[in-house]
Amino acid sequence: MENQAHSSQKPLKKGWFISLIDVVLSYYSYLISQPFRSGLVYFLAGLIPSLALGWLIFPALLYSKQPQPLQFNHAIHTHPQIGIEGKTEEERCLQCHGFREDGTFTGIPNLATCMKCHDDPESTLGETPEEEKFNEEYVALGKEVPWLLYHRQPDCVYFSHIAHVKMGKQECRTCHGDHGRSEKLPLHQRNRISTYSRNIWGYNIAGYVRNPWERMKMDNCADCHTKTGHEENNACFVCHK
Amino acid sequence: MDFSVKKLTDLVAFNRRNFIKLLIGGAVGINATPLPWKLMDDVAIWTQNWPWVPVPARGAFNHSETICTLCPGGCGITVRKVDGRPVKIEGRADYPVNPGGICPLGSGGLQLLYTESLRFTGPMKRVGARGTGDFVAISWDEAMQTLADRLAELKRNGKSEALAAIDGNRPHSSMSLLIRKFMDAMGSSMYARMPSLEDTYATVNRLMFGIDAPMAYDLEHADLILSFGCGLIEGWGAPGRMSNAWSLWRSEPLKGKVKIIQVESRASNTASKADQWIAAKPGTEAALALGIAHVMLKDGLYDSNFVANHTFGFTDWTSPDGKSHRGFKNIALRDYSPDVVSKTTGVDAGQILSLARAFARARAPIALCGKGKGSLNGSVFECLAVQSLNALTGNINKPGGVLVHQDVPLQARYSAEAKGPGEPLTAAGLGEALTADKISVETLLLFAANPAHTLPDGGGFRKALKKIPLIISFSPFRDESSLMADLILPDHTYLEKMDDVVWPVGLQYPFYGLTQPVLKPLYDTRATGDVLIQLAEIMGGRVTESLPWKNYEELLKERALNLFEAEGGLTSHDSSRPAWEPSAYRKVLKSDCTSPEELWKKLKAGGFWYRPFQRFGWHEELFKTASGKFEFCTDKLEKAGADLAKTLENDRDYPVVMAPYELINLASSWAPSPPYLYKTLFDSQIRGKDCFAEINPQTAGEYKLKQGDYVIIESSAGKVKALVNIFAGAMPGVVYLAFGFGHTGYSDFHLNKGVNPNSIVAGPRDFLTGMSAWWRTPVRLSKTKA
Repeated sequence: MENQAHSSQKPLKKGWFISLIDVVLSYYSYLISQPFRSGLVYFLAGLIPSLALGWLIFPALLYSKQPQPLQFNHAIHTHPQIGIEGKTEEERCLQCHGFREDGTFTGIPNLATCMKCHDDPESTLGETPEEEKFNEEYVALGKEVPWLLYHRQPDCVYFSHIAHVKMGKQECRTCHGDHGRSEKLPLHQRNRISTYSRNIWGYNIAGYVRNPWERMKMDNCADCHTKTGHEENNACFVCHK
Repeated sequence: MDFSVKKLTDLVAFNRRNFIKLLIGGAVGINATPLPWKLMDDVAIWTQNWPWVPVPARGAFNHSETICTLCPGGCGITVRKVDGRPVKIEGRADYPVNPGGICPLGSGGLQLLYTESLRFTGPMKRVGARGTGDFVAISWDEAMQTLADRLAELKRNGKSEALAAIDGNRPHSSMSLLIRKFMDAMGSSMYARMPSLEDTYATVNRLMFGIDAPMAYDLEHADLILSFGCGLIEGWGAPGRMSNAWSLWRSEPLKGKVKIIQVESRASNTASKADQWIAAKPGTEAALALGIAHVMLKDGLYDSNFVANHTFGFTDWTSPDGKSHRGFKNIALRDYSPDVVSKTTGVDAGQILSLARAFARARAPIALCGKGKGSLNGSVFECLAVQSLNALTGNINKPGGVLVHQDVPLQARYSAEAKGPGEPLTAAGLGEALTADKISVETLLLFAANPAHTLPDGGGFRKALKKIPLIISFSPFRDESSLMADLILPDHTYLEKMDDVVWPVGLQYPFYGLTQPVLKPLYDTRATGDVLIQLAEIMGGRVTESLPWKNYEELLKERALNLFEAEGGLTSHDSSRPAWEPSAYRKVLKSDCTSPEELWKKLKAGGFWYRPFQRFGWHEELFKTASGKFEFCTDKLEKAGADLAKTLENDRDYPVVMAPYELINLASSWAPSPPYLYKTLFDSQIRGKDCFAEINPQTAGEYKLKQGDYVIIESSAGKVKALVNIFAGAMPGVVYLAFGFGHTGYSDFHLNKGVNPNSIVAGPRDFLTGMSAWWRTPVRLSKTKA
C-alpha cells in the first residue's frame, strides 16, 4: 500500500526558487510560532542591546564634555557695523585669526591680540558677566585664556592655512561653516581614548558627513582635493612630512 | 495554575544552541554599528599620543643669531625658536667663519641649556662631603656677601697671594681680561690659565714673530697641507670653517690639486681621509719636521731669499756676550739626517725624502702644528720645528701661508698685558705647587674651567683641590671641579648671555663677534662678568677703581668701540661671496659703519667685525722680534732636541705608550657633552660602562688580548680598566684612549661611561714649557677579567 501510495502520489515538481521560498517561509513560521524554541528571542536579545550599545551608549561614553573657559560671541565681533573692521567677512576673521609675517597661521588669538582693540577706551570690557570674568581672571593677571580647540589637526598632520586661504582662495566658512556667526561656543568634546576633539571624527558616530566642518579626517581632506582637481595633494608626504 | 520548572525550561528552551544564537545576535549587532571600527581608529591614535612622546612646541617661529662658544672655533649659529623657546641650533650661512656648517657638539648645545640635572639652577652652598654634589640653594645676596667677606678677610690679613683663580676663558677675551684685572686689583699673582693649543700658538708667535696675535692660517689658498696631528675634520680650529675648507679642497675646481698629508700615529678620521698618512711615533713630530728641514736644506729646496733677508738664527751666530750659538741649518743638517730621524720617528727614510721634496716643491705649502681639537696644550718644540718649515719655504704672510697680523684692535687701555709679556701660570703648575706645599691657597676661584677632569696631570689637581679650604665655582654646569666647590655662583650658559669671541682659532683674518642671549635665563643664574663687577663694588677701594664699569656690557662696549677707530673692517658678510675670496683680499676696504654707535648696534644684533684683507709680503716691517726678523729659536730647538732622545729611551717597567685622542662627537674641554652625543658612539668605542682602548693587532697578540677583553692600563700615576678594540690603525706599541669619558660629575647621562685618560697621564714634560706632555705616557698592560 504504502509503496503504491508512494508511487501514485509523486511529489510535485517544483522550481528551485519556489523550493527556496518554501524553506524560508516554513522556517519563518517556525521562528514566529515558537519564538523561544526556535531561538529568535535569544538572537534578538543579543542583537538589539548590541545595536543600542554601538549606536547610542558608545558615542555617549566615548566623549567627555568641557565648556570653554569663557563664552565668546563671534557674532558681535564679526558684525559689519559693531564688530571688527574689514570689508568682507573673511577680512574680519583674519583680523584675529591671521597670518604671521612668515606665513604661518596664528590660530586662536592670544591675549595680546584681544587687547589690541580692547585697550581702546571705546571698546572696553566688563558689560557682561563673561567679559568681567575675562577682565578679572585673564587680563588683570596677564594670563592666556586656555581655549579648547575644535579643529586642531594632530601633530602628525601638516596642515597649512595659507595654502588653502591665500593660494587656494578658500573662504573661512567653506571649512568652518557658520562658526564665525555663532553667538555661543559649543561644548568641546574630547575623545577619551585618542584625546582628539570630537570635531575631527565628526558628531555622527558613523562618520556620515554633509558639510566639511562636520568631519576632518584624512578621507575628507582627500575627497575635497579630488573634487577640486588637486589630486596630486593626496600624496602621503604632502601632509605627513 | 500548575507551574513547574520543567515546564518553564521547556517553554523558554534556554539551551546551548540558543545561547550561541544569543552570542551571534550580539556579534551581528555590534558589527552593524560603528563601534569596532571607531574603536580601532581611536586605539591606533592613542598609541601615538602617549604623554611621554615629545611634541613640538606651538607658536610663532623666529630665529636669533649668535655665536657658539662651546669651543674656541667661534662658529656663527642661528637658533630657531618656537614661541620664544629655542628648539634647534643651525650653522649660520651669512657668517664669515663657518659658511653654514656646525659640529655635533654645537648642534647639541640646547641640551646643555635644558638638561636641568646638568646645571646649577641658582647660587648654592655645599652641605654634603666634597664631590657628592650635595648643595642647598642660597640667595644671591648671601652668596655675594660670603665671597666678599672672604676676599676682604684675605686682604686684611695680608694674604692676597692666598687667593688663586683658574681661568678657562679664551686668551684675549673680555672675561679673561676682567678676571686678570680683578686678581691684579686683589693683589694676587695667582692667576692661572687652563692649558690650550691657543696658548701654545701664542707662545710660538711671540718667540718667532715677536707679535702677540693668534695663529692665522690661510688654508683655503694652500695647495699642500702638512698637518702634524691637527684633527682637521675632527674639531680643530673652527669646525664649521674646517669642514667647509675640506669640501672646498675635495670638490671642483680644486679637486685633486690640494694635497693633504696627516702626520699622526693613529689612523684618525683626518688621517684616513687625507691623501697621505705618515705615522710618526707620538711625541716625535718635531724630529720629523726637522728631518724634512734637513732634506730641504741639503737639496737647496728652500726660499734662500726669504731666509737670507728676513730670518735670524739660520746660520751660526754669536751673542753679544761672546757665546757662539748653532744656527738652524747647522742643527738640522748635523742632527736630523733622514736615517737618524727614521730611527726616532719610525718613519721610513725614503718617505721623509719624498715628503720633504713634495712639501718644498708645492706652490703654497703650509705646515700646521697642533694636536687633535686643540683643547689641551700643544708641544712647543713641535710648533717651533713646524713653523721653521714654513719659514724655509718662505710661505709667511703670503696667500696660502701663515699670515702675520696684529691682534684684533680692541681698546688698548685695557690690554691684559699690563704685566708685560710672559707666560701666565698654568693650572697644572698651580696644582703642582700646591701638592708640593710651595704655595698655600686659601681661596680658589674657578672660571669656565674643570681642572679636576680636563687637566692632563694624572689626577694631581684633583688631589690638590682637597688642600684648599674654600673653593668657589662660577660654572653653570655640575662639573667635577664644581662638585668639589663650597660655594657656587652659577653663570648663564652661552645661549643666555652676552660675551665676546675674539679671533676664532686659526682663522686667517682678525675677527671679533658678540654672542647674544637668545632667551631669558632659565634659572636664577647671573653673568659672571656682572658678578665680578658687583663684587668689586662691594669690596671698595682699589678693587672698585680697577673695575670701573657699571656692568659687563659696558666693558664689552668700551673694548669693541675701538674697532671703529681701526683701519677698515666689515660688519656684514655677503654669503654668496666667500670671505676668503682673493678679490676681497687685495682691496683695502673701508669700514662699513659710519659711527661707533652704529658699529655697536650692529654687533649687538648678533653681529661681528672682521678685516678680511691682508697686506701680503711686507716682510721688512712684519716681525717685532729683537732682531726684527723671523727667529729660528735655535737654542730652544737644540735643547729640546737633546731632551727628546732621553724621553724616547725604553722604560722597562712601562714598555707601552698611552696616547689619548679627541673625538669630534664628545666634548673634551670644560663644557659637557650634550647627552645625545653618547648615542653617536660606536659599539667599538663604548659598551655598557666601559670604553675601549685601541690596540694594534700585533701588540694585542704580544699580550694575548682579544677583541672585547678587559685590559688594565697602568702608568706611574695610576691605572684604568678598558675593553680592547683591536684596530689596525693603531701604532704597534701604543695604546689609545679617547677623551670625553670617565666623568664623575654632570648628570646621569655622563656618569659611569668609560675612563678618563687624564687620570693616568704621567711621564716626561714638554721640554720647553714644563707643561704636561700628555701625548705620550709610558704604561704597562695586563689582561684582566671583568
